[in-house]
Amino acid sequence: MTVASVLLALLGSTWLLAVIEGWMTTGRLSPAAPLFSGLAHLGRESILPRSPDRVFFEAAPVLLLVVGVLGMAVLPLAPDLIIADLGTGALFINAALAYVLVAVIMAGWGPDGAYAMIGGWRFLGQLIAYSMLIVMPITAVAMRAESLLNTAIVGSQAGLWNIVYQPLGFVLFFIAAMALAFRAPFDLPTAEGELGGGVDAEYTGVRLAVLRLARLTLVVTLASATTVFYLGGWHGPLLPPWAWSLVKTLAVAVSMLLVGHYLPRIREADLMRWCWILGIPLALVNIIVVGLLILVVP
Amino acid sequence: MTLLEQYRLLLALAIGVVGSVFCLYSLARAIGLTRQEPGKDVPASSGALSRDPVWGRYHARYYGYGLLFLAFDMEMAFMYPWAVVYKEVGLVALLDMGVFLAILFLGLLYGWSQGAFRRQ
Repeated sequence: MTVASVLLALLGSTWLLAVIEGWMTTGRLSPAAPLFSGLAHLGRESILPRSPDRVFFEAAPVLLLVVGVLGMAVLPLAPDLIIADLGTGALFINAALAYVLVAVIMAGWGPDGAYAMIGGWRFLGQLIAYSMLIVMPITAVAMRAESLLNTAIVGSQAGLWNIVYQPLGFVLFFIAAMALAFRAPFDLPTAEGELGGGVDAEYTGVRLAVLRLARLTLVVTLASATTVFYLGGWHGPLLPPWAWSLVKTLAVAVSMLLVGHYLPRIREADLMRWCWILGIPLALVNIIVVGLLILVVP
Repeated sequence: MTLLEQYRLLLALAIGVVGSVFCLYSLARAIGLTRQEPGKDVPASSGALSRDPVWGRYHARYYGYGLLFLAFDMEMAFMYPWAVVYKEVGLVALLDMGVFLAILFLGLLYGWSQGAFRRQ
């Protein structure tokens, strides 16, 4: 029952996000478009490049989808609406998200195409830039909750949400989450303009449909993680807890799409430089500030 | 739910996702097969075929970052257990980790001064 509800929420949010993404790019609001697009992909040919690494090529989209679903499985929508409330939940989501890198490099390596391979290796550099900014802000969140249980993390925000308690951490996590989901200003591995689609380029038909579904699922999972870690999860007046979680998750996901819509793509060298000379010192400052706040304000 | 049951559930979920994707692939296969035609399976490379496989060696121009990343990534392994007991242990925990983080931060500054944050 819980599993079905969470998966349904995930699928529904993904569908809604696809509709909104279509609305932003084409200017038409058509709720059935993702469904028709998916069906059309089913009917199209799914071409295999001429000398692929078959295992990597087939595994990449599936692995990306598995990562999105497993990440969502440890995030609570309501106090009892969580698939697996792991004792190491905040750490598990890091471990699951590390496989995004593996999936993207496999998608780059698999088809034996130059552009795809460049996209794959680029994402390795991108990981070195964003990954500390995912991990360090979560540490500060765990410090306040005194637990790695994701339900305890939401519980610790009953009085004051973490976005107010540690706004610096929120900003860093939000940016890093966008880089992790390779959304627009950080879409270096796909980069339509320079790499002709990069890691997406060789995927067609049903494989492309799964890859696109996986990418949007990842955005929903990361938005849900942002909600759990910073926006107080299910807390809120009037509406039932699960509704608050969904509303906040969708708001974060849409804001990720919107930010990406208005910013130009950043260069890989610039991304790494800014993340290391500005982002990581700020993340350390965030940990120290939160540490002092916990000790000073009981 | 015990820990083992939770991990069993997560494993079942992963297998379920793989299974449903496999069903989708089978469905697509049942609708129609890919017609084999010459030139269709060329990877996108602006029309020019590369002579060799692209699985060669690449110059990692960010290796300075890479080395620093290793140090920071190791440090994070210690940060999580520390974060959980932080409030309980109090000021001592902050000072302990403060020294540790200060050394790492000095390493970052040193790396910066040596040009680690440049594409080489």
